[in-house]
Amino acid sequence: MLVAVGINLYLPYLMRLVIDGLTEHSLDQAALVRLLATYLGLGVVSVVFSRLLRKIPLKLSHKIEYELRADVFEHLTGLDQEYFRGERTGDLMTRMSSDVNLVRDAIGQGLLQGIRTVAVLVLASIVMALTEPSLALLVVALYLPMVGIFFLILRVMRVRQKDLQEHVSEVSNFSQESFSGIRCIKGFALERRRNAQFEELNSGLIKKTMMMQASRQSLWPFMAFWFCLGMILILNLGGRKIIAGELTLGTLTQFIQYLLYMQWPLLALSWTTSLMQRGKVSWDRIREILDREPKIKHRTSNVEPDEFRSQNMEPQNVEVDGRSPSEFDIPCSTFCGSTSSSIEFHNVGLTIDGREFLHNVFLEIPAGTTLGITGPTGSGKTLLVSLVARLMDATNGAVKVGGTDVRDLPLGQLRGMIGFAAQEPVLFSRTLEHNIGFGVVKPDKDLIGWAAEVAHLRSDVESFPEQYQTMLGERGVTLSGGQRQRTAISRAIARRPGILILDDVLSAVDTQTEAAIMEKLQPVMNERTTLFVSHRISTLHYADEIIVIEDGRITQRGSHAELIRQPGYYAELNTMQQLEEKLEEGS
Amino acid sequence: MNMAKRLLAYSLPYWRWLILAFAMITFTALSINFLPVLIQRITDQCLMNADAPADERIELLMRLSVIYISIAGIGHLVRYFQAMLTAWIGQKIIYDLRLEVFRKVLRMHQAYFDRTAVGTLMTRVTSDIERLQHFVTEGVVGSIADLFMLFGIMGYMIYISPWLSLAIFSTLPLLFAFMFYVNTKLRDANRDIRDRQSRLNAFLQESLTGMTTIQLFNREASAMEDFDERHTKLRSAYFDEVRWFSLYFPTVEGGQALAVLLILAVGGMMLLQGSEAITLGIFVAFLAYIRDFFRPLGSLSDKAGSFQIAMASIERVFALLDAEEEVQDPAQTEAPDRIAGTIAFNKVWFAYNNDNWVIKDLSFSVEPGQVLAVVGATGAGKSTIINLIGRFYDVQQGAVTIDGIDVRQFNKHDLRGRLGYVFQDPFIFTGSVADNIALQTPGISRAEVIHAAKTVNAHNFIEAMPEGYDTVLNERGEGLSLGQKQLLVMARALAQNPELLFVLDEATASVDTATEVLIQDALAKLMANRTSIVIAHRLSTIRHADRILVMRHGELVDQGTHNELMAHDGYYRQLYDLLQHSPEQK
Repeated sequence: MLVAVGINLYLPYLMRLVIDGLTEHSLDQAALVRLLATYLGLGVVSVVFSRLLRKIPLKLSHKIEYELRADVFEHLTGLDQEYFRGERTGDLMTRMSSDVNLVRDAIGQGLLQGIRTVAVLVLASIVMALTEPSLALLVVALYLPMVGIFFLILRVMRVRQKDLQEHVSEVSNFSQESFSGIRCIKGFALERRRNAQFEELNSGLIKKTMMMQASRQSLWPFMAFWFCLGMILILNLGGRKIIAGELTLGTLTQFIQYLLYMQWPLLALSWTTSLMQRGKVSWDRIREILDREPKIKHRTSNVEPDEFRSQNMEPQNVEVDGRSPSEFDIPCSTFCGSTSSSIEFHNVGLTIDGREFLHNVFLEIPAGTTLGITGPTGSGKTLLVSLVARLMDATNGAVKVGGTDVRDLPLGQLRGMIGFAAQEPVLFSRTLEHNIGFGVVKPDKDLIGWAAEVAHLRSDVESFPEQYQTMLGERGVTLSGGQRQRTAISRAIARRPGILILDDVLSAVDTQTEAAIMEKLQPVMNERTTLFVSHRISTLHYADEIIVIEDGRITQRGSHAELIRQPGYYAELNTMQQLEEKLEEGS
Repeated sequence: MNMAKRLLAYSLPYWRWLILAFAMITFTALSINFLPVLIQRITDQCLMNADAPADERIELLMRLSVIYISIAGIGHLVRYFQAMLTAWIGQKIIYDLRLEVFRKVLRMHQAYFDRTAVGTLMTRVTSDIERLQHFVTEGVVGSIADLFMLFGIMGYMIYISPWLSLAIFSTLPLLFAFMFYVNTKLRDANRDIRDRQSRLNAFLQESLTGMTTIQLFNREASAMEDFDERHTKLRSAYFDEVRWFSLYFPTVEGGQALAVLLILAVGGMMLLQGSEAITLGIFVAFLAYIRDFFRPLGSLSDKAGSFQIAMASIERVFALLDAEEEVQDPAQTEAPDRIAGTIAFNKVWFAYNNDNWVIKDLSFSVEPGQVLAVVGATGAGKSTIINLIGRFYDVQQGAVTIDGIDVRQFNKHDLRGRLGYVFQDPFIFTGSVADNIALQTPGISRAEVIHAAKTVNAHNFIEAMPEGYDTVLNERGEGLSLGQKQLLVMARALAQNPELLFVLDEATASVDTATEVLIQDALAKLMANRTSIVIAHRLSTIRHADRILVMRHGELVDQGTHNELMAHDGYYRQLYDLLQHSPEQK
């Protein structure tokens, strides 16, 4: 660093020697060539250093960026569902992209410019003061206000830029909404109104852009003008001294070169400060993620979860086609470790933000039985099944699997036992095969095929040209709601889990398909402890026991036959669904 | 080059302003670059002119200084206004273009949206348009400004010393070539960064949304691996960028140092040989010129390559503007005051693509005020019927008529204004609940909004929201249950169009029984006294119908009332039995 700055400060001195030598005619050709050769040599060294000076800190900053982002992502993979519900994905994305980038820039540019500026300032001041103190004073007097004004303009610009940015995202949100809601817009003939709104938004955009440009475009002319001012002042002051014979033209030229050389590092100073400030803000936002402790952790740390991961998920002895699905099933005990898959809810309560969602839930689900769960929307059915997989923890009482509190089981082991399918499943933009075999370490074709068969997905798959290699998502096929749900069921059963949780997974499937799936699913369910949520009596009917949850409490429990005889939600549901059918039948 | 020509045509409305901008550019180039000439005069006539008396020299120095600072002040002020003017012209052009693109997109037929992802369209109205703006302001106007600056400097340089100028200019081609090369590499690196960043972002987006799923299936470690793979690729693209970036400024510095060296060498030699053609003032002035020389040179070498990128954007935007609108309005449109409500399909054939017929030779009619239910398995072509009436698509053969008028004779806008829709997935706009119901249709009062909401049983839950009808909803309608969204959408349909005709898509899936009762009730009220077509998945909805169409593989296999159809003992009966099939029978 010092070498580079030193050389850059020395070069104008050489220039001065040449000019003065020429003015005073004290220089002969050989001396000139010598001076110029020195200039050339130093110039080359300076260029090389200048490159390294940029390369090293920048590369370093990218390495830091890399480590930081990887840390954040790794931390996120350990955070609980509640956290992801509370945070918007877009916001997390911003932190992982632009915030991490800002921290990187603060480090890289801060390091680069910061050190350079300090070195230039200190060395240049010394050299200038030694050469000609009065001119040095002038340079300092000129640059101080310039840096100040530059800083102010930059600030105003940043505020306006932010303002503009918000408006830009408003415009793009509006477009996004218009395009994704195009059917609705066309259906209600709203095009003209949308166009007018868009026009208005865009007029605002022009105004905000011009506001921003007004400050931004002033930067360069302002600086250039200020430099001219400095130049003419030096020429004027120095000129008088030259006329008076107190100064040589070479020294004057040397100063003008310094004026030039100091300009950028000084301006960079204000830029770097704001970069550091923004970097700090971004760093705080990233810290918020890193400081967040996962709420769901296993209490005893004597078992290493990774050990279980590899054990649990290895599919064993998967048989080939041609056998009935149940023959594929290996009893849970062979791959679930010692934990049995019975489930127990002991006085479970769940309160989130002061609101009670589950209250006094007592349940015993013996291994290998099926529990049907029903109840009005928002009564707590999904929360209840979430507790088993520890997507959240009960605030009261305990949920036990195989007699052990789930909080005492290593998370990897617990979740390794569970196959979970949700009503609105998340599928990944990978192949269908990848999605079905998602929870299995090395899925083979037979397992995938079997899982697809059970979930009644096989005929759908066969209609795709690329079968199981079909890509899902934007770059592939878009599955219908029912297909998505059935894929989620395949994904859950492909793990051949000890516990199967199906959270209203047939809601988007029509009744015939539903019946077909239930028929195939039943043997699979019989082999495991199953919890399923449903609104349809025709599905619930399959359960060994059915519970009705209303307002967070179990209000009814029993078999289908028992419940239809009891007055209550279940009987009402049954009558209503029967009535619907009868109305069709009758008349 | 036709593309660029077409783009430049958008600047025609602003040609007066453009000429002004160019005049300002010329003025700036001439004035600012004159400044080193003044420095040369100061040096030679004041500082080095030992023959003249000191007073005169100081007086001249003062005078030249005042001229210098005035020219500098005015020059840079004009430069500022020119930059503002250019930015404004660019904004206006982009404003026009963006509106045109947006309007075009809204005019496109439904099939276009089936094929085109929303993300792609977003890219057109955002980043592609921004690149165009960049192209117009920085690219075209900026290059011209740079060239003027460069020529200005070169002109003055030749004017004060042709020989020294030639020495310096001789290095230019090589230097420009090298800068161009570095810039190209930099741009490549930047493109790689963008690509890889967006790939990483897509992965992140999906992983964050699906984190619960990843955790449930113990896939944290493999998600981390996938992340690392993409992340490492991004880092290597960044390293590439650093490699070239760290070359750029040293190149400029090196170039400047070389130029200074040349001036010192050539100038020094000439002075030593006692040449009259060169003075110390020229020396000093040239040192000032080479500083200004590299800025326009560098930015020109950057722009020369970025034109390609802009061209790709221009091409995409114009391709969108030129895309054919398949569903078009006729030259002469029919616009009856009132529609009685007779809908008829007359030997209609339709395929979404090629010969894959979804509707085959379909004929039927609905009388005014009738409720028609369409039943059939998934993919039987039921919802296509509704799409054809609203001209979301046009039939390939046959005709769809309303009151005997072919729907293709209507203005689409006018036609759809007479139809009301309830779609399967309720779409909520960003805005208040009331706005979502009224859709800013002129003449719908708050009272009518509330009346509509009450009629479809939506009033109660709306009232329970924090600010009632003024509660602002976001695009996804967060905070509303699916059932509530559906009720809201029904209120919208009712408020929009109590006038004529109501087309409806069966929309009751995955809703709890209590809400479903509300929805069923709302549906009945919506359809009362209105010609309606219901795409029905549930037998309970079919009950309301005056008539039922039974569809199978795009063909009409049967029609009639429920009783008639049951008596026919055909496909309908099979469908019905399937629907009825439940485990109770086991």
